[in-house]
Amino acid sequence: MKRLAKALILLIAVIIVSGFVLMDVFGKPEAPVQPVEYSHWQHVTKEDGPRLECTFCHEHADKSAHATIPNISTCMLCHESIQTESAEVQKLAAFASRGEQPAWVRVYWFEREANAYFTHKPHIRAGVSCQECHGDIGSMQRVRREVNQSMSWCIDCHAQKNVSNDCYVCHR
Amino acid sequence: MSETANQKPQWAMVIDLDRCTGCEACVVACKVENNIPSSEEGSSRGRSINWIRIERYFEGEFPDVRVKFRPVLCQHCEEAPCEPVCPVYATYHTEEGLNAQVYNRCVGTRYCANNCPYSVRFFNFFAPHWDAPLDKALNPEVSIRTTGVMEKCTFCIQRIRKGEEKARDENRAVRDGDVVPACVGSCPTRAMYFGNIADPESEVSRLSRSNRAERLFEDLGTKPRVIYLSKQD
Repeated sequence: MKRLAKALILLIAVIIVSGFVLMDVFGKPEAPVQPVEYSHWQHVTKEDGPRLECTFCHEHADKSAHATIPNISTCMLCHESIQTESAEVQKLAAFASRGEQPAWVRVYWFEREANAYFTHKPHIRAGVSCQECHGDIGSMQRVRREVNQSMSWCIDCHAQKNVSNDCYVCHR
Repeated sequence: MSETANQKPQWAMVIDLDRCTGCEACVVACKVENNIPSSEEGSSRGRSINWIRIERYFEGEFPDVRVKFRPVLCQHCEEAPCEPVCPVYATYHTEEGLNAQVYNRCVGTRYCANNCPYSVRFFNFFAPHWDAPLDKALNPEVSIRTTGVMEKCTFCIQRIRKGEEKARDENRAVRDGDVVPACVGSCPTRAMYFGNIADPESEVSRLSRSNRAERLFEDLGTKPRVIYLSKQD
């Protein structure tokens, strides 16, 4: 009887651990490791930092469907001369000198199977702040997915703000 | 003015059959725009997908023969027979008068296709496939439908959304030319018109009042949103 209980506990432990491992491999990692350890906090919130606006880097957020990640040349505008002794900035400069873009890892996205077509522009026009959908990115070192962007979450906000919840608004 | 601006546009199409030459440019444009695979597989059994097709009618005896063409696409009926038969509410009517198909909801009963008098609903019997390099030419703004779901003409919903957004940017109601579906844009004889039928000033609205106007299978009471113009005898 004792052996059986032991085996059962071991089995449950294995299932839980493998579940976490599989989630990391196949699921959406919550805070993926980025090719350069860019800190949003340092650029957005830090007292003596540059205190950038979101749209300084994500410049198409209010103009198009995609917020877009900036070209590395935007980073080099400042980092040509600022903080050049930092290891991460040197990584950045190496990318720039090779003429490459770092392969940033996505944090927020919809699966293709969702057939959902989100567009940034109308949301920003309607006065939705970046933080409402993306969490307080400005206080994060490495970006972490804080908001669970499920369909019910979309629908709740649309209903609250009296926006159409017609399927064809998002799905095509 | 403010009332028409707040009202949702009601989309409709007008097709001038006296201008149609049956060139099938619309058919090709539709396939490219809406990620419809071109495959011979199952076509002999009526399983190929064409959101728009050209029907041919021959009139008279040889050598005095006339051919008439009629492009047939989803008629976006106001009283659509496909809608009430869907058990999972995968097809429904939008506020803009579009007959919508929600792929994620569809379970593939095919009741809707069987209840459609125009035969414009298509079931995905096969997984979609494009030979290289056509797989690089897919439209990123349109879903790729998988096996087992129904699909049909959407009046190019992606272009409608874009046109509406443009109108909103300029702070005005939609007008002619804002939305041009792929078939309409490709027509070399300009036989097709698309616009807001709720606006009495629009081209489709004006043409729909023409005495050449008729709707397909009007007696069924489906109230199609596609209006055909042809010489009335």
